[in-house]
Amino acid sequence: MPDRQPAADGSAGERSDGTVAGRPDGSVRADGSAEGPVTALPRRNPRPALLASLLGDTLDPGYAEAAARRGRVTGPAPSRRRLAGLWYLAAGVLAVGLVIGIAARATAQSAPGVERTRSALLDDVQSAQHRADELAASASDLAAQIRSTQAALGAARPLATVQALERAGGLTAVHGPGLRIQVDGAQGGSGSGVILDTDLQLLVNGLWASGAEAVTVGGVRLQTTSAIRQAGGAILVDNTPVFWPITVEAIGNPATLHVNFVGTEGFGRFSAFASLYGIRFDLTAQPDLTMPAAAAPDLRYASAAPTTR
Amino acid sequence: MYAALALLAGIVIGLFVQPTVPDWIAPYLPIAVIAALDAVFGGLRAKLDRIFDAKVFVVSFVANVLVAALIVFLGDQLGVGNQLSTAVVVVLGIRIFGNVAAIRRHIFKA
Repeated sequence: MPDRQPAADGSAGERSDGTVAGRPDGSVRADGSAEGPVTALPRRNPRPALLASLLGDTLDPGYAEAAARRGRVTGPAPSRRRLAGLWYLAAGVLAVGLVIGIAARATAQSAPGVERTRSALLDDVQSAQHRADELAASASDLAAQIRSTQAALGAARPLATVQALERAGGLTAVHGPGLRIQVDGAQGGSGSGVILDTDLQLLVNGLWASGAEAVTVGGVRLQTTSAIRQAGGAILVDNTPVFWPITVEAIGNPATLHVNFVGTEGFGRFSAFASLYGIRFDLTAQPDLTMPAAAAPDLRYASAAPTTR
Repeated sequence: MYAALALLAGIVIGLFVQPTVPDWIAPYLPIAVIAALDAVFGGLRAKLDRIFDAKVFVVSFVANVLVAALIVFLGDQLGVGNQLSTAVVVVLGIRIFGNVAAIRRHIFKA
């Protein structure tokens, strides 16, 4: 370091006139005090004057000038000058300390505020999600009550049709044999090993096409209006974020589901990804899968009749 | 000695008086802090070089703060405020490093 800063030490007076920084010939030579004779060859790659002064003139040249002036000029009485200097020094150092203290204070004051806002927002999000979960659970409960009441009222024949439709629409919890697929992006891959929402859509469509009767993605039961979307790096299934690795489960006839699925485009794409990019793609047959009911559909045009009680 | 006491007093006052920083000053506070540190280390080095001068110290500190603030202000008006404050921090940071290295050489002779 010292030999790269030829004028860092002891030559402040020489630099006070500012001639070292830019010599007329544009080259900056080592001044020879530390490294050999003064007749050193000019540097091959002259350091630009701006950078040289930036790296070399770390001390304010004013100090050297003032020192030179003091040496030349016989000022007022030494004690008076000393007193004035002390006042200057005290005021300046106090100002410096004030700036540092105020800045530290301001930073310390603003940091907890930022943190508080952040955690409050997180709490809001969590409580909203919690409430959404509760409401969905109560909706499922109410739907079950309605079904049992209808069954008790003796509407068995039409109800069977309704139940079949509801099962197909994902409105009731189901269990049965099926397939479990686990997918995950390639490890450490940011560009090529990323699975997109369209890939998952293709996979799920392949499952439906090969005879699946119920499908969950990341534990979220798909219904007729479900969407698999991507928001940044996260996958949203019915606006619920699911996390990698994503487990896709499908219930269906064990004899045909697996065989049909292997022939679908989704399976082909994912097995190609697995061999080309090293993504994780595990397909296992499961004897008994349990799936929750999907969230009750939003009724946009229907509304509850006023209760006449 | 007195300087260290005054510095300490300034920091303590700044910490405990809790002055409210006006919003328009807030962007310039980091710049002022860097300029203050630069002034402190420059003054210390000049002291060790036996060429310290209180007037130069004060004037260079105030002028550096004002110039740095002016540069950042201009940058804010022209849409390059962040980059210019980075430039100010880099330049003053290099100076701080150089001065601290010189102080280290003075103290440890290494």
